[in-house]
Amino acid sequence: MINLKSEREIGIIREAGEILHGVLKLVEDACKEKVRTRDLDAMAEQFIVSRGAAPAFKGYKGFPASLCISINEEVVHGIPGPRRIKSGDIVSVDCGVRYKGYIADSALTIPVGDISAAVQKLLKVTEEALYLGIDKARPGNFVRDISQAVQSHVEKHGFSVVRELVGHGVGREMHEEPQVPNYVTDSRGARLEPGMVIAIEPMVNLGVYHVTMLSDKWTIVTLDRQPSAHFEHTIAITENGPQILTNGQ
Amino acid sequence: MAEGKEEIDGVVTELLPNSIYRVKLESGQSVLAHLASGTRMQLVRVLPGDQVTLELSPYDPGRGRIVRRGGERPGR
Repeated sequence: MINLKSEREIGIIREAGEILHGVLKLVEDACKEKVRTRDLDAMAEQFIVSRGAAPAFKGYKGFPASLCISINEEVVHGIPGPRRIKSGDIVSVDCGVRYKGYIADSALTIPVGDISAAVQKLLKVTEEALYLGIDKARPGNFVRDISQAVQSHVEKHGFSVVRELVGHGVGREMHEEPQVPNYVTDSRGARLEPGMVIAIEPMVNLGVYHVTMLSDKWTIVTLDRQPSAHFEHTIAITENGPQILTNGQ
Repeated sequence: MAEGKEEIDGVVTELLPNSIYRVKLESGQSVLAHLASGTRMQLVRVLPGDQVTLELSPYDPGRGRIVRRGGERPGR
C-alpha cells in the first residue's frame, strides 16, 4: 500500500531535506584528493546530529555508516573507510536524514580532479535523466512514465541503467511503496497521485548494466568494473506537479 | 539508498522434483524457484535454458518464484 502524505508531513520531509542538502553541500566541498571516505562520513554525521536530526542509513539493516560512498565502478552502498580519494575519481555520496520521524534521501556524484570526457558525460547525462524523470512525476502519470524518461535519455547517449536497484517511496520508512525502476518493465506501476513522496535515483553505468555485490554484502559494483554514476532527489507529487524536497529550496 | 528490485532475471539451469527449478541469476548466483500461481495457471512450460523473471523471497534470498518466462523485458 502506498502511504500518501499530508501537507504537514511533506513539510517535515522538506525540513529533513534541507538538512540533507546541507550535508551534501558540506561533503561536496570537502571531497578532495587524499581525503579518506571515513572522514567525509564523520563530518556528515556530526552535521546531521548538530541539527537535531539522525542519520537514517546508520543501522539500517546493519549498514555501519551515515553515508554510502561509492567510488568509480562502485554503483551504490559503498561503506566509508580508510580509502583515500584520488584525482580522477568519481565519488557518489548517498545520504538519508531522519527528522521528526520522517526521512529524506538524496545522492550526487562528485568528480575529483581531472576526469575523462566520457565520464564527465556520464555524470551529466545521469543528472539530466534524474530531472527528466522528476518532470514526469505528475498526478495522472504512472511510475513507468518516470522510468521511461530516465531510460530513454540514458540509452540515447549510449549508457545503461542498472536494473537490480530501484528508486522507492520514502517518508516514515526508508523504503516504502512504490518501487520506481529506472527502466521500463511490463508493469506500468502505480498511478501517481498528490501526496506521494518518492526518491527517484537513476544509477547509470558507462558499460553494461549488470552489477554484482562485493563480499562485504553491501557494495554494489558494475560487472565490467567500468564507472557508474548516481543522482537522487526525494520529491513530493502535488496537484501542480513535482516538488523537489532535497535541493534546499 | 537504493532499494533492491523485487524482480530479477535469470536462466533455468535444472529441473528438480516437485516443480522446483534451479535458476542462475544474472549476478551469477543460483537460487531455487517455484512457479508463481499465474504462470502455473497459464500452463507455461519452463525448461532448462529458458530466460525467466523471478521475484526473490524477502525472507530467503536463495528462494524465489518464477513470475514470467521469456527473454528480454520490453523496452530493454
